This record gives sequence, structure tokens and C-alpha cells, in this order.
Amino acid sequence: MSTEGQSISAGGSARPAVPVPRRAVIVGGNRIPFARAGGAYAKSSNQDMLTAALDGLIARFGLQDERIGQVAAGAVLKHSRDFNLTREAVLGSALSAETPVYDLQQACATGLETVVGLANKIKLGQIDSAIAGGVDSASDAPVVVSEGLRDAILDLHRAKTLPQRLQILSRLRPKDLAPVAPGTAEPRTGLTMGEHQALTTAQWKITREAQDELALNSHRNLAAAYDAGFFDDLMTPYRGLTRDANMRADTSLEKLASLKPVFGRSLGADATMTAGNSTPLTDGASTVLLASDEWADARDLPKLAAVVDAEAAAVDFVHGKDGLLMAPVFAVPRLLARQNLTLADFDYFEIHEAFAATVLSTLAAWEDDEFCRTRLGLDSALGSIDRSRLNVNGSSLAAGHPFAATGGRIVGTLAKMLHAKAASTGRPARGLVSVCAAGGQGVVAILESL
Amino acid sequence: MTAQQPVVLAEMPSLSKLYVNAAAQAARRRLLGAHDSSVLPAESHEVRGVTVGVENLTAYQHLIGETASDVLPAGFIHAIAFPLAMSVMNRDDFPLPLLGMIHLGNSVEQKSPLVFTDVLDVTARVENLRGHRAGTQVNVVAEVRRAGSSDVHWRGVSTYLAKGVFLPGIDKPTAVPPKADFTAPDPTALWHLGVDTGRAYAAVSGDFNPIHLSVLSAKALGMRRSIAHGMYLASRALADVGPARGDSFRWDVAFEAPVFLPSRVALEIGTEQSGSGAWKHSSFVAWSPRSGRRHFSGTVSAL
Repeated sequence: MSTEGQSISAGGSARPAVPVPRRAVIVGGNRIPFARAGGAYAKSSNQDMLTAALDGLIARFGLQDERIGQVAAGAVLKHSRDFNLTREAVLGSALSAETPVYDLQQACATGLETVVGLANKIKLGQIDSAIAGGVDSASDAPVVVSEGLRDAILDLHRAKTLPQRLQILSRLRPKDLAPVAPGTAEPRTGLTMGEHQALTTAQWKITREAQDELALNSHRNLAAAYDAGFFDDLMTPYRGLTRDANMRADTSLEKLASLKPVFGRSLGADATMTAGNSTPLTDGASTVLLASDEWADARDLPKLAAVVDAEAAAVDFVHGKDGLLMAPVFAVPRLLARQNLTLADFDYFEIHEAFAATVLSTLAAWEDDEFCRTRLGLDSALGSIDRSRLNVNGSSLAAGHPFAATGGRIVGTLAKMLHAKAASTGRPARGLVSVCAAGGQGVVAILESL
Repeated sequence: MTAQQPVVLAEMPSLSKLYVNAAAQAARRRLLGAHDSSVLPAESHEVRGVTVGVENLTAYQHLIGETASDVLPAGFIHAIAFPLAMSVMNRDDFPLPLLGMIHLGNSVEQKSPLVFTDVLDVTARVENLRGHRAGTQVNVVAEVRRAGSSDVHWRGVSTYLAKGVFLPGIDKPTAVPPKADFTAPDPTALWHLGVDTGRAYAAVSGDFNPIHLSVLSAKALGMRRSIAHGMYLASRALADVGPARGDSFRWDVAFEAPVFLPSRVALEIGTEQSGSGAWKHSSFVAWSPRSGRRHFSGTVSAL
């Protein structure tokens, strides 16, 4: 392993936390149940789903005709005609049409980044209220024409004479007429996200058994949360779904163990990643209402948790220096150093389950003394986490992962858990969110109960 | 090198005419017998005032995966000089048959960047005729200068093998270098090469050698399927090394098993940095994920 680390003190990232003018609080979240691709939402567009999640949030918190400070959301698989996706969703919602909006796109970290950016605006006093969100449809994904046809269409526009146009049309071949669907391969490596993770999984020697166990816990925890009514005030039914369609409450280690590996088969004996311990393609949307204390108090709205701080990181994955999905491994120690916290200071950990092995590789890296010293610039291993505090109400393996909607799902869920924890123990509760993203990126954040 | 005056051609020769001429020459030599010369032509060929078509450059950059900047990619300059290099090997006094020669390797020095508005003087010559366990190999040296300048900005040395051709006075190397065992490392990239890969590269490079174009045209020349251009593969690997290489670098590649189309090619690209984090060199190796055979390998290093 290389000795060049991303020192936690490099680039000024570990500067002491700057006192912020005021808090940004999470009032609550709302999402629609997540559907498997090609399922209940097969014909619903990103705009349809985002509007459904938004309307549920508006109804829950009485926001009809309210001019919100700003709304930000995004989608990863986005058609070019949806350049103002979120603005169109807001115009189709019960919010005031005078609500300003922006779209954001940061792969799977889109949803969490909207929360962070809007919370920062509230902290700075630029806005008093905000709605963060995200949506993705793997079913209604944009399909584009081939480069050959696109090139010909654009040249035809520029052509002035009939012979020029005929010459351009004569270039077309039958294969140019075939549509092109979006792929999940990284543009610079040609490897899919699963193949990238398979390399990381093998590097950290994550076993098939450990991955299946994590997947099983995700399904069990999510099912138990539904049974306890946990999601009753976090969700709006849509298109006949009242629960996440991917959830398998009755799955077992035996069933998971029977699945054949789908990623990393070229690695031979090391292939451990199956459809059971990887997230499926999913459709869904989520939203989170953020506010200043004054704004929430004036409307008598709940205040579940505060957005304390956040950190983004990126890794040089292109030539394999680090795994594609390992950026949060670097972001978390920088965030902890800035906030003067350790892993032991958290009541809950929400580590997005892109793949079971992503979570396990992340934990393995933090437990590895040499890696933490040489690559993270720490004195020793960052440490272990108490597994009973990890993804306690399920995560992406069970719920599914509509890319940009995952951040909002996690923040809404965690804010509610922290509030309940603090109410039952009588002391503040703290949670850590970690989301990895394509392009070797990651965003992590700290929430604290109110 | 002798200080002989170069043969100055009025314009860049046409590759398709050269291929036809080479085929005619092969037929002639088969009828009349090969001449037994073991001497390379000493004259170099030169074309002055070569300009670059910006549309062609952009198409090349997009195909190879280079950012479409104004700088000419090192592999693009090879494509510019290639017809001139072929014209030297197509001379009647060139002792090896041009058709069927195998590209063994390539060494390029990109001493400083050239941009698409530069007017170029291109020279090519052959040198270092020597034995190979399977035939006779020769180097083709191409150099590119800015018009009227004596500074070489780009120099490429391509090594070709005439398989099964043994010339008098040129000995086979007695000791066969041991073949290093190859164990595929973990890949850092995977290329999905379609059956049209050869046609696409021919369109941007001008190299319409039939062995690259289609199954039928390749079969006509005795191949079981078409194969990817070596310089396409090497240029993509150079692009994958990325911007760390800077504007001046040395780029070496050795070709082994050909890449039959369509196919998947796995690659590992490794980078070595100095203690201060500055880029020192990158290495690349490519293999078939199906058979595990190595296709090619090479390095890019600071000049």
C-alpha cells in the first residue's frame, strides 16, 4: 500500500470548527416507498415521484402556499429536458410558486449534499427554511440516440443544401439507429461499480458470510421498523405501495447463501458479491424539511435534530490507489478531528449500504492500524463501531437505493431516531451519516438530537 | 547515420496506394525472387509543411479518450508520420517485404508539445536491421519538427518483424530470451472493444490496413478475425495514464498477443510518485480476461 495519505490536517480541513451564527434544524422527512426497477413506479417519472414525496411533506407540516427559503433536490439519472426538475416539481406542488429552487447532482451523495448545502444557508442566515431532497428512476431512465445518429442530426441542422443533407444521411448505418441506455460503468475505467467494489472487497478480505449477515440484518431491521410503525410519519404511500418493495422480511442466511456471485467473477475464488448482498436498481424519492429555530417555533413545528457539520472527500480510484467507494473512509476522520469527536461518541451510525461489502470494507479500513497511520495520518486505528448501533432501522440493501433519494431517506430516519433516543435517555444523542458515491466521492455528516 | 540529403516528397503519400503497391511488390518478388540485399536504404524521406485537420484531431481525441485540447496527442503524431514511414519501407531497395510485417514495439519521445496550428516537417528513415529468432527486425524512425526548425519535438521508433524472412549475413540471436511468466494482476480498467474498433481507428488515423477492418478482409490476408490496431491500444493506454504525464514524456510499448475483435481487454495502470508526490512514471499492462494472455505492456515516464 502506498504511503501517501490524505492527512487529516492537509488542506486546512482539520481546522477547528468555526462557531456558526445559528443552528439548522431538521423538522422532519417524508418519502415515498421505494420500488424495484420495473415495478410499481415503472411509468412514473422523476418529476412525478419527487412531487409525490414533496406533497406528502407539505401536507404533514402544513406548508400549503408557504414560500420556502429554498428547495434543492436532484436526480442522478436525469434527462436533459429535466434541467429544472426540482423547480417543475415545486410548481406542481402546493408550495408557493414564489419558492426559489436549484437542482443538484453529485451521484449517490446528491441527497445528502442538498441537506448540507441548505443547512449551511440557514446557519448563515441567508434563508429561514428549506426542503432538501432527491429522486431517481431506474425504470424511466433516459435513453439517448447513438453518437452516430446524434452527430448526423446536429450536422443536418447545420447543412444548407439538399446534396449536403443527403450526404449526411448516407453516413447513417443501421446500428446508428439503436438507442443507448445509461450504464453503471465508471467512465474512466470501464468497470462497473460492482466490479470496482469486488476489487475492494477482495483487498480487504471481506467474507461472503459477513456480507450475507449484514444483508440479513438490513432486511430484519427494516421489517421490524415497519412493524413498529416507525415509518408511519416518514412516508406517503404511492401507486399502491406502502412499504419498500425490495424488503424481504422472511429472507434467511440459507437463502442468501444460495445466490451465485454476480460481481468479481474474474477474481475466481474471491467472488463473494451476490444480488442478495448488493443493492438492486430502485425507483423512489425523498424529502427533508430544514429550518431555523425561529421559523420552526413560529409555526409550532417539531425540531428533531440539528445538522452539526459535514465533510466531503474524494479518492484517486482511477488507477486503483483506493477503492471507488472508499471516500467516506477519508472524510470521517477529518470530520471527527474538526469536531473533536471519536467513533465512541455516536449513538447511531448510518453507513449507506451500496453493497454490504462497502460497509464492511469501510469498517475494516478504520480498524486497520497501518492503513490509518499511513493513509489517514492518524496515530493508530480510528477504531471499531458498536455494530448494534449500525443501520438499526435497515438501510439500502433492504429498502433499495434510488440514487439521489438515499440521502434524504437516511437523514429523515436518523433525525427521528436521535430525537426518540434523547427523549428516552434524557441526554443528547448523536448520529453519523456516511454516503459513498460514483467518481470516487463521498459525503459524511453529523446530526445531533434536539 | 550518413549525412545524406533526404528525399523530399511533395506531399504526404497515400496509404492506400502504398498498400496496393506493397501487394504488387510482394507478387513481383514472389515471381522474380526476393533480392538478397542485407542493406537498408540510407536515404530518409521528408515531407514539409504538413498541417493538421482540426476535425480529424477532435475525432481522434474522442475515440482514444484524450481530452480534446489543442495539443496533438503523441499517438496522433505517429498517425501523421505513418504514411511517410511506410513509404520508406515501400522502396524497391528496402530488403524486407512490407506486407505482413508485425509491429513489435514502439518508443516515442514527446520532447515538447505541438498544437494543431503548428505546420510540421516530418522525416522518416529505417535503421538497425537485425536478426530475430523468428525472422528479421528493423526500426523505423520518424521525427517531427516545426516547419523550418531543426529542433525535434517528437521522435518515434517503431520496431517491425518480417516473420520467416532471413537475410544473408544477419544472424539469428542464438540465445532466446526467456519468456517471463505472466500472472494477471487486479485490473484497474476494462475495455469493451466492439467489432468496429478497427474501422473506427482507421477512420481517424487513415490506416485502412485490411487486417483491421472486418472479418472478411482480415481472412483474405490469412487472419481468423480482424485485430485492433496496436497504436489504437497503445494510445488508449497513454490516454488512461492521464494528465499526470505532463507535456513532455517518453512512451514505450511492447506488443505481444494481438487483440482479436470483438473482445474485452483488462488493464492495470500503476503510477509511481516521488517522495514529494510528483509523478515519476506510469506503467501499463493489458491482458485478455478470458485467456489471461498478455496483449501488450509499456511505460510512460518523465523526460
